[in-house]
This record gives sequence, C-alpha cells and structure tokens, in this order.
Amino acid sequence: MRTKSIRFIALFTGLLAVLIGVFLYAAITGSIKITPSELIAGLLNGTDERAAIIRDLRFPRMILSMLVGAALAVSGALLQAVMRNPLADAGVIGISAGAGVFTLLLTGLFPLLFFWSPLFAFAGGAVAWLLVYAIAWRGDYSPVRLVLVGVAVHMIFTGIGQLLPSFVRSSIGQANLISSSTFSYTTWGDVRLLLLYGTIGLALAHLLIPWCNMLALQDKTAHNLGLHVTRARVAVSAVAVLLASAAAAVGGFLFFVGLLVPAVARLCVGSDHRLSLPFSALAGALLVLVADTAGRTIAAPAEIPASVIMMVVGGPFLLMLLRRSGRTHGN
Amino acid sequence: MEINRVVFSYDKRQNQLKGIDGLVETGKVTTIIGPNGCGKSTLLGVLSGYYRPQSGQAIVDGKAMHRYSPKELARKLAVVHQQNSAPEDITIERLVGYGRIPHRGWFGGNGQEDREAIEWALACTDLASKRTASIEKLSGGELQRVWLAMALVQRTPILLLDEPTAYLDMYYQLELLELVRRLNREYRLTIVMVLHDMNQALRYSDRIIAMKDGNIVAHGLPEEVLSSERVRMIYGVNVVVKKDAEAGLYMVPIGIDERGGEN
Repeated sequence: MRTKSIRFIALFTGLLAVLIGVFLYAAITGSIKITPSELIAGLLNGTDERAAIIRDLRFPRMILSMLVGAALAVSGALLQAVMRNPLADAGVIGISAGAGVFTLLLTGLFPLLFFWSPLFAFAGGAVAWLLVYAIAWRGDYSPVRLVLVGVAVHMIFTGIGQLLPSFVRSSIGQANLISSSTFSYTTWGDVRLLLLYGTIGLALAHLLIPWCNMLALQDKTAHNLGLHVTRARVAVSAVAVLLASAAAAVGGFLFFVGLLVPAVARLCVGSDHRLSLPFSALAGALLVLVADTAGRTIAAPAEIPASVIMMVVGGPFLLMLLRRSGRTHGN
Repeated sequence: MEINRVVFSYDKRQNQLKGIDGLVETGKVTTIIGPNGCGKSTLLGVLSGYYRPQSGQAIVDGKAMHRYSPKELARKLAVVHQQNSAPEDITIERLVGYGRIPHRGWFGGNGQEDREAIEWALACTDLASKRTASIEKLSGGELQRVWLAMALVQRTPILLLDEPTAYLDMYYQLELLELVRRLNREYRLTIVMVLHDMNQALRYSDRIIAMKDGNIVAHGLPEEVLSSERVRMIYGVNVVVKKDAEAGLYMVPIGIDERGGEN
C-alpha cells in the first residue's frame, strides 16, 4: 500500500514537472525567439517589445490550451463514468459539435453577449447529449452503438454549423470554430472566460468523485448502497457537458482529448476517480499544450491547428480502443 | 417485511408479478423457489426497493418501501445480486468498504464504527487475509463472498440474496449457505434468498415461498411446500421426497410429468 502511494506521488510530481517544463519551453519558442532571461527581464521592466508580444499573444493561447485540455479530459472521464463506456467522449458523441453550433448562433446573432457563450454552448451540448443518451440506450451503452449514434449526431451538428454562415452573415469568421481549433487569436479575455466556467466545472467534478466511483458498479448495486442513481447520472453528465461546452465555446473543436487522456489515466493510476480525475486534468492540459506548441513550431512559419494534430494522434488511438473494447469492464 | 397486492411489469404489457401478497417473517430464512421466469428475481427486486410496483406495495418495518430515501433503505436492507461488476483493479477492502456509504453523511462517517464493520464482515467471509488483493485475482467463490461481505458491512437487519450459489462448485455452495445460516442464527438477520436447488432449499430454509407464472402458489414450512404433489404442480417434475436419519428430508427427481407441468 505504501509503495503504491509513493508511486502515485512520484507520478503526479513527474507529470507536473513535465507540464512546467513544456510550459517554459513553449514560452520561449515560436516565431519570436527570446532567451529565458530576456523574457523574464522584459516581463518585469516592460522595455522589451518581444516580451510584450509574448505576454499578449503567446501566454493567453498557452494557458487557454491547457484549460481546454483539462476541461475536455475531465469531461471525457465523467462521461465514461456515466455511460460505463471507455469510448464516451464529448467530441465523439457530438456534444462539442452541438455546443459549437449554439456558440455560432449566439456570436452570429448577438455578438455582444460573448460573455454568456459558454452557457449558451452548454444548452447546445445538452441537446446533443440528450439525443445520444436517448437513442443509444438499450439497458446499457454498447460501445459500438454509442459511437455510431454519436457520429451521426456529430455529423448533424457539424453540418448545421457549416450551413449557418450562409444565413448569419457576421459569423463567417467563426465558421471554422466547429471543425477545427486554432488558438492563434486567443486573448486574455478568452482565458478569463474559460477560467471562470472551467474552474466551476472542475470543482464540481471534484465533488462528484464518490458518485463516479459508485456508478462503476451496476445500477442496482449502487441503488442498494443508497445512491440516487438517476440523480447521480444527471449531475455527472451535466458537469461533463458544461466542461466540454465551455471548452468548445472558447477553444473551438478538439477531437479525442477526452478519449485518449482518461484511457491513459486508467492505465497509469487505475480506475479510482480520486486519482484518475486529477491525473486526467493534468495530462489533458499537458497534451493540448504540447499539441498547440507542436502545431505552431513544426511547420513554422505556417501553423497547424491543434485539432489537426489531435486527429492525427487520436484517430489511431480510437481504433486501438475499439479493438480492445470487447474486453473491458470485467466481463 | 410484507407485500400487498404487488403488480409489477417490466414493459407495462405483460405482468411479471400478478398482484401477490406475502409476508417475510423477521429473523427467519425465507427461500423463494419456482421455475425459470416465474418472477422470483423480480419479487426480490421489489423487496429490495429497486423495482417499484405498478400497484400494491412492499412494506418494511411498517413503512412503505417507496417512502424511504435510498440511503435509509440501504440501512434497512442489503442485497447480493446474482451478477455483479466492478472495476477489476479495486481491492477487496475498498469494495467491501463501499457498504459503509449508507452510514456516511456529507462530512464522512464514524471511522471506528466503519472499521469494526469492515473487520467483522471480512472475518465472517474469511477474506481478511486477502484484503489488499484486487478483485481480478479472485476465484468465483471468493468474488461471491466479497459481494456478500459488502452487503454485511451495511449492517442491515435484512439481507436479500439472488441465487447466491449460482456459478459456485459444491464446496463453495455449501460454505456460502452455512455462512448464511450462521448469520441468521448468530446475528438474527432476516434473510430472503432465491435458490434453484430443492435440496438446499429444504435444508437451509425456515420458510419457503413457491412461485409460478407471477403468482405465489405456496408459502410455508419447507416440508409442507416441497411435497411431491406440489413440486409436480410447480415444476412439472415427478420427485420422490424421503426422510433419512442422517440427511434429513431430501428429494430426488425421477422424471418429467407427462402433463408438462400445466397443472
């Protein structure tokens, strides 16, 4: 028992160290080159123009990418707990697309209400989730049925999202929000927005950890242990949808984060949500920060959207999970 | 525990329980028997509060089942299901500890009481030495005892068991039934279980409820309910019931009744 907890502490410390390391590397890498000491001096006394640009443009996108990663990874972990299915992910089952469509609508019709976009996105995500939940449920969620229904819902919303610019003129610039995600134009305003909704979501997720663990048992077992199963399902789902929708509203569409990260978390720290949720949050932040940093450096000066990187990495991973999905959950 | 005119249906078309009345006596071992699909497990589901009857009600301690909050109910009765699932990497101790959840509030529970209950349940089920093992490494018999231990940790006066001996070999079947009997005799637990084996039902029950087609067709002492006429009526099987000085009452099936069990 003791060696196990030492291993977990080492694992979390290592993860945090890597995250900080990547953050520092990302801060000094890109189209503007600067040494760490120049950057720190520039940030402190405000004389170096390069440091000012990094502060205004590079830092927000780095922080936002980490927030989006943490939110999507935890959202995936929560959905997988509710559906008892390792393939549940906000991107795969259409929640992100639903949230994206509603965000497009809001910013197209009422651009001044931008601050409320995560809540509006939440409504869109909830619609998509209810569709999938209602149609894919046959007493349980077979992995394949869930993915099929999810892909259909995803396609419907993606299609609507691509139709919208033809009808709502001012949303043209936002049109690619729904099919890709690039953090290029991130502002501190975006960061504050997601920091608000994301923190609420992550804090609520933390409170729901015991329920997530109980939902890993059968419904009737959880009921016999005094859990209000339906209430727990609704609460955990709502937080998952909130996190995914807020991420989609501010950060755009990123596939596979919610799929890949919780799976890695289960491999590293096991099925207990007390460990796997914090692990997912950290690892998700790391993954998307790496994807965004790679996207803006490997083909510089051209930029590859983080979402493209995630698809190239995440696609094969989904195939691998599908191959293994017959043997999950102790059957 | 009592059930009054309970009607239950899974699909609202065909009734699995057709308005049944029954009484589970406190401090006794009651076994529900009957052919496949007769409604045994459904009745146990109603008694556990998981299935809410379309009409009629189940009553625990003078209060209708649906008036209890899930947590209150989980302090009154515990259930061991026939099939269970849990994450493979969870340890015995932690899974068994889930049984304390009904006793915990928002700010945790009584640590001392929790520990005592867990120790007691692990000792009863002979799992204390394996407490840190994860459940993926356990045999079927051990796994069944883990689920029983989780139910015991709830420290409820009533224990429901759905075919607790399914999937176990002869040794583990007897071990489990002996444990059930001991829990009843030593700790005065009221026990309701579903069994398929008539000889086990004869040997380990104080009362037997026999079901057929969603109705209770007989209810009483084992030797009364499990007569050869009744068994032919319920199962459509001809049996010989004998009494032996060493074995007590026992039953041997000798053939299928030609009327196909329709009467």
